Amino acid sequence: MSHDIAPITPDAPLCQTLNCLPEKFVVDFANGIDVARDHIRVQRGRTSFFSRMYDGFTGQGARRNAEINASLADGVEASLRWLCELTESLAHSNWAIAQVSDRVTALTGNVAQLAHYSADTRRQLEDLAHQVDVRIQGMAREIARIDFIQKAQLNVDATFDKWAAGRFAGLAPAARCYAALEELRWGALGDYCRNYGGQRQCRDFMQMVTHRAIKQLAEDAAINLQTTVDTVEVWLAAPPARRGDSDDMQQALAYLADGMSTDAAPFVSSAVQQRPASRSVPLIARAERVAEAMVQEVFPQEMANV
Amino acid sequence: MSDPTRIPPTGLVLSGGGAKGAYQVGLLKALLELGAGIDMLAGASMGALNGAVLACAPSLPEGVQRLETLWNTLASQSPVEANTPAYLKLLAAAGLTLGTPLPTVFAQVPALAQSMRWAGSAMQVAGVWSESALLSDGPLKALMDEYLDTEDLMRGLPLYVAVFESKGGLADLLRCAVAEAGLADTPPSRFVHVQSLPAQERRNALLASAAIPLLYQARQIGDARYSDGGQGGWQTAQGNTPITPLIEAGCKQVIVTHLTDGSLWSRHDFPDTTVLEIRPQTPITPDGSPLGAAKAALGFDSSNISRLMKQGYQDTMHCVRRVMKADQSRQALRQSEQALTDSLQRGNSADAALTDAMSRLQ
Repeated sequence: MSHDIAPITPDAPLCQTLNCLPEKFVVDFANGIDVARDHIRVQRGRTSFFSRMYDGFTGQGARRNAEINASLADGVEASLRWLCELTESLAHSNWAIAQVSDRVTALTGNVAQLAHYSADTRRQLEDLAHQVDVRIQGMAREIARIDFIQKAQLNVDATFDKWAAGRFAGLAPAARCYAALEELRWGALGDYCRNYGGQRQCRDFMQMVTHRAIKQLAEDAAINLQTTVDTVEVWLAAPPARRGDSDDMQQALAYLADGMSTDAAPFVSSAVQQRPASRSVPLIARAERVAEAMVQEVFPQEMANV
Repeated sequence: MSDPTRIPPTGLVLSGGGAKGAYQVGLLKALLELGAGIDMLAGASMGALNGAVLACAPSLPEGVQRLETLWNTLASQSPVEANTPAYLKLLAAAGLTLGTPLPTVFAQVPALAQSMRWAGSAMQVAGVWSESALLSDGPLKALMDEYLDTEDLMRGLPLYVAVFESKGGLADLLRCAVAEAGLADTPPSRFVHVQSLPAQERRNALLASAAIPLLYQARQIGDARYSDGGQGGWQTAQGNTPITPLIEAGCKQVIVTHLTDGSLWSRHDFPDTTVLEIRPQTPITPDGSPLGAAKAALGFDSSNISRLMKQGYQDTMHCVRRVMKADQSRQALRQSEQALTDSLQRGNSADAALTDAMSRLQ
C-alpha cells in the first residue's frame, strides 16, 4: 500500500482529464504498481502451512508470482522507455540551452556594438546640438540685427517723413536737420549704431541719413542741390510765421545740444543759436555741406568709419 | 482516415462478486466525479445486474444515482431469501440417500465421487439440485421489475453479460472446484449482448448471469441453460471479468473492476488494449477464509454495503490518480518541449531581424 499519496479530491485538476485514458504503457506502468501491490498484499497473507500447500497445489501461487513479475517487468520496460524519452528531452533541452547561450553571447556582442553606436551617436548629437545652438544663436542674433535694421530703417523713414510732413516747420532748416538727427540718435537708429558701430550697415545708414537730409534740406530751402545759399539767411533763418510750440522745440534743441561744444559741433551750435557760432561755419553753403557737417557732429563715431 | 482527436470507445467491466457489488457503486461515483465517459458495459453475475441498471438509465449520472438507491434498498431488504420447498426436498434427498451431513457433499470433487461407493447417491442429490435452488429469485425479480425497463435498456449503453452453460448446479460447482484445484479449467463463459436478445430472453440472460449454482436456478436462453457467468474460464477469471466482448466490440481502453482480493485475471492477456484496473487497496473480504468469502458475497447488510461503497470510491480515486499523475507529468513534459521548440523558432526569427538591424548599423 502506498500511504505516501495524499487522498485525491474531486475538485483536483487531474479529475477533469479522465475522458480519455493516457498511453497504454503509461497506464500499464502506473496501474501495474497497484496490480502488483494487490498481489503482494494477498501473497503476504498466505503464509500459513495450509495456504502455502494450497497455493502450491493449485498453482495459484505460481500464477500470482508470474503476475507480479509481469507487472514488474512492464514497469521496468516502461521505466526504460520513459527514461529514454526523458533523456532525449533533456538532450533537446541542453541543445536548446546551448542555442540560447549562443544567442545570448551574440546578443551581448550586439548590445556592446549598440552601446558603442549609442555613445557615438550621443557625442555626434551633442556636437550637432552645440552646432545647432550656435547656429540658432547666430540666427537669433541675425534676426535681432535684421529686426534692429528694420526698426532703424523705420526710424529713419518715420523721422524724415515727419520732417517732410512739416513737423519741424517752426525751426530753421539747419535746426530741423538737427532735430531730425537728434530724434534718430535717440531712436532705433542711434541704438543700432551704438550696438553695431563700425559695421557696414551702420555706415550705410549714415550715408542714407546724409542723403535724405541733403534732399530734405534742399526741399526746405527750395533750392537745387548744387545751389549754394547764404548760411545765415537760409540755413539758420527761422521761418517768418512761427507757431506756438516752436520756442519750446528750440529750447529743447538747445538742451539737447548743451553737451556739445561749439568747436566740436559748430553747425549744431549755430543751428541751436540761429547764428554762426564758429568761424568754421561757412557763410555760404550748399545743402550737402550743412547736412554732412551736422550728421558728422551728431554721429561723430559712426561717421568716423564712413 | 481516423481522427486523432477522437476519443476511442471506453468500456467498463463490472466483475461479479455478489454483495461485494456495492463496491462498484462507489467506483462508479468516483468515475463520474472524475469525468469518465463510458461507451459500453460488460458484467458478470452481480456486475451484470449493476450494468443493467446503468444501461437502463438515460445517463451515467442517473444510472449511478439509481444504483446507489438500489443498493441502499438492498441494505435494508436483502435479496437473499430461502427457497423453502426446495430446501426441504434437498434435505430429504440428501438424508435418505447418503445419510451423511450436507457439508460433506461440498467437499467432494467429481473424480473422487466416481470412485467412491456412494457416487450413485451423490449423483441423485446432484439431480435434485439441478432442478431446484436453495434461494428464491423472487426478490431479485421484484427488484428487476422496479429498476430494469426493457425499453430503456434498448436505448441505453450496449451491455454484455457473461453466462455459463450449466450442466446442473452441483456439476457446475464441482467443475469450479476442479478448476480451483488447478486440475482442469472450466469451459469459457459465453458473452451475450443483451440488447440483441429477444425481449423475453433479456431478463433471463441477466438472471442467468447472476445465478450462482445451487443457490439460484439456471436459466434457459435459446437451446441451453445458463448460470453464473463468473464460472467460465475459472483459473483466469475469463468469465468473471468479461473484457473480451468489449474488445471485440472495438473498445481500445477498458476500465476493469475486481471484487476479489488478488484477482488472478491478467491484463497481459490483452496486449492491444489499454486496461485500467481498479483493484482493492485493502482487503475487500475482511475474513479471507472460504466461509468469509461466501459470507461477504451474500452479506447484504447495511454496514457491509456502506463500507464497500466507500472503499470502491477511495480505491478508484487512488488507482486513477496514480495513472493520471503520471500522464500529467508526460503531458507537461511534452507541452514544455513544444513550448521550447516554438520559442526557438521565434528566436530564430528574432535573430534574423536582429542581424538585419545590426547590419544597418555597420
